[in-house]
Amino acid sequence: MDLRAALGDDGVLEEPIDLHLFSKDASLIRGQPTCIVFPQTAEEVAEVIRVAEKYGTPIVPRGAGTGLTAGASPTEGGVVVVTTALNDIDVDVENRTAWVGSGVINLDLSKAVKQYGLHFAPDPSSQSACTIGGNVANNSGGPHCLAEGSTTSHILGVEVVLTGGEIVTLGGQAPDTPGLDLKGIVVGSEGTLGIVTKALVRLLPIEPDVRTLLLEFPSVEGAVATVTEVIAAGMVPAALELMDQKMMQAVENWLQAGFPTEAAAVLLAEVVDEKEGVESQARLIEDIGRRNGATAVQLAANEEERALLWLGRKSAFGAIAQMESDYYLHDAVVPRTRLVETMRAIYEIAERYDLYLLNVFHAGDGNLHPLIAFDASESGTSERVHKAGEEMVAVCLKNGGALSGEHGIGVEKRDMMRMAFTEIDLDAQARLKEAFDPSGTFNPRKVLPAGARCFDFGGVRREIPEGTWV
Amino acid sequence: MNYHPPHISRLMSEIPGAPTAELVVSPKTVHDVVAVLHHASDKGLAVQVMGGGSHSGYGTPPEPDIVMSMDRLGEVEAWEVDDLTLVVGAGARVSAIEEMLGEEKQTAVLPERPGSSTIGGVIASGRSSLRRHRLYSTRERLLETTLVTGDGRIVRSGGRVVKNVTGYDLPRLQVGAFGSLGVIVSVCLKLWPVPEHGATVRISDRDQASAVTRPLAVLEDEEGISVLVWGTEETVSAMCERLDGSVSEGLDWPSDPTGPFRWSLRVPPALTDEAISRIPSAWSFLAVHGVGEIRAGSDSSDGASDLRDWAESEGGGLVVVDQPHATGDDRFEPWGAEPPALSLQRDLIAQFDPARVINPGRLPAGL
Repeated sequence: MDLRAALGDDGVLEEPIDLHLFSKDASLIRGQPTCIVFPQTAEEVAEVIRVAEKYGTPIVPRGAGTGLTAGASPTEGGVVVVTTALNDIDVDVENRTAWVGSGVINLDLSKAVKQYGLHFAPDPSSQSACTIGGNVANNSGGPHCLAEGSTTSHILGVEVVLTGGEIVTLGGQAPDTPGLDLKGIVVGSEGTLGIVTKALVRLLPIEPDVRTLLLEFPSVEGAVATVTEVIAAGMVPAALELMDQKMMQAVENWLQAGFPTEAAAVLLAEVVDEKEGVESQARLIEDIGRRNGATAVQLAANEEERALLWLGRKSAFGAIAQMESDYYLHDAVVPRTRLVETMRAIYEIAERYDLYLLNVFHAGDGNLHPLIAFDASESGTSERVHKAGEEMVAVCLKNGGALSGEHGIGVEKRDMMRMAFTEIDLDAQARLKEAFDPSGTFNPRKVLPAGARCFDFGGVRREIPEGTWV
Repeated sequence: MNYHPPHISRLMSEIPGAPTAELVVSPKTVHDVVAVLHHASDKGLAVQVMGGGSHSGYGTPPEPDIVMSMDRLGEVEAWEVDDLTLVVGAGARVSAIEEMLGEEKQTAVLPERPGSSTIGGVIASGRSSLRRHRLYSTRERLLETTLVTGDGRIVRSGGRVVKNVTGYDLPRLQVGAFGSLGVIVSVCLKLWPVPEHGATVRISDRDQASAVTRPLAVLEDEEGISVLVWGTEETVSAMCERLDGSVSEGLDWPSDPTGPFRWSLRVPPALTDEAISRIPSAWSFLAVHGVGEIRAGSDSSDGASDLRDWAESEGGGLVVVDQPHATGDDRFEPWGAEPPALSLQRDLIAQFDPARVINPGRLPAGL
């Protein structure tokens, strides 16, 4: 009764079909929600939190559900809080900022501010669907964070609803708020510390000119070596993306973006600058590429050609859908200089497990996305896929890397956290969580493995029949 | 570890602004730091962490029982030139590190005129480079930290890669935290390449700065406005031409304002011009356009209250960077308005420094 009283009948869903639709995000892990709510304001979010805390039920925030690590899957049950109705955009052109509701779609933000010559730098491949709230929760990246950093570099403030339904604004347009940078810790916390209802984003001016190149290589190694050399040459291109042959084939089968399917790998490079500067930078990348074996270099002749190349790149994961029913994707990062050996080891693992592996990734950042396409209904396949995935992550960590560059930990990589951190490191993270969320209500059992803190994250669950409070 | 005999403590007390303490320790390993903090937490002793002393003027003056000097924890552990990452002890001097990086045409994008400040000090105080409008602030350089919590736990967070979302972003939380979560022992920094060409262009009207899309910095002081640009030869010469000012080769970074009183005025970037007009005429200043940070210096605190009231009414603030230690009861309140979510900040600090021994009371509201 409490939730319906707070949000009205329209704001609460609990039909079986709804519960099923919102039972998972874009990962492979499904949960079982009690109900789905669509708050229209921060005050309504606060009310939902108070109800959930009163009845000891988990809260799982959700934007567009494009997350890949089950961060928005209600794996512990509870209330799924969908933020899509929080969709105001309030632009301040003079300060080059905007307050943006959590439910605003990433691409819609950049479209809305294009008229002022501005854009929002983080551009995840899912940008036409994913929400700003999701970007904030996962500290999302995208191809263009090579030069400009991930979401956290572009969030100047947040309005967040904390335990007890307390609505606070952290950060702001003025720099360097004294005291602890709580806004900075909320970004990337995957909805486990509170629910962000709006974010103050930094907007960047659109650069006067751009060059987008596609370099073809007869080997993945040549493409990777080019990446390392370009960065070592003292330039940071706007993007440096690598796609291997199998991934190009998948993309070409789907949308004919013009990728050379006979090449072993391509590098998609982009430079932005004043118009006088782009030519020489593009030439430098081309020269380095040719020295490393590039057989052909295409330069996007106009905005349409450029847009098509990027559409091909960003549709890569979608293109898998017409090949296989399922895919399993990792997101580990390695130092750039370890890319060649890491890639070699990853191909070897896929071969050993007899799996179909495709690669498309943010090579400039060393952020890998090995993707295994498979059919989960074939018996034994899922187990093989997971084992191979875990080995791939282990190789990345062994090579000095990290578990995730931009997708987050969620449930998917939660238990791998012990591969990356000591018990004491994890305990410190668990203490942080405890300070924000003493009752363990916010997105429980995400990010940190069970037992990371001597106290259990699920919190004390009161057993009240579910129907009585929705 | 060196336990300095009492006479060294007394000597330090003769240096203006240096803290007086019963004991000055200069740990050589992370385990020394652990031992000191265990002891301090057991006995409830206050520990002041000292780098180069550049930021000791922030906040309420500490009255430490122990001064922990970080000068022997400043070694370069790993500089991966091709990966653009650097792992270095927190006690390393910023000037020495930037000079070293410069040999390979790289930078950690830390303050340009660091004086004696250390990497750990810059991070703990949250100071940033003048290039922050183009290359972002200090927090964006920090990839990994190893810290020793107040109760002596060694906690590593982040990682040695340029992009990472593995777990909570504890490294960034330590920026500007003045050690309240622990003593930063070592860090991994994200480096940036320094292009071949750079120039400083003096312009007479700030509107001219908008002739270039992304300058490295647009700075203003009493002398006028300069635009600093860098990039390829073609870009730099084109930008210089477009800016239509007096060009000098290379990046000419202005000095920070001095004075017994030093200030950091923070406003929404579009209010920088108004902020400059409101600064008392006797003060010196250095404004970072596009950011809303104005550094200022003065002989007295006259006019500071009005400036703070205005800045706070616009969502910013006025923070004391330094003031004379002898001022006693006339000290200007260092931070201004209380930050939000104070009880949460307190709870968070309690998780890392339960006996509250590291730099107690340095943060706003006595945190």
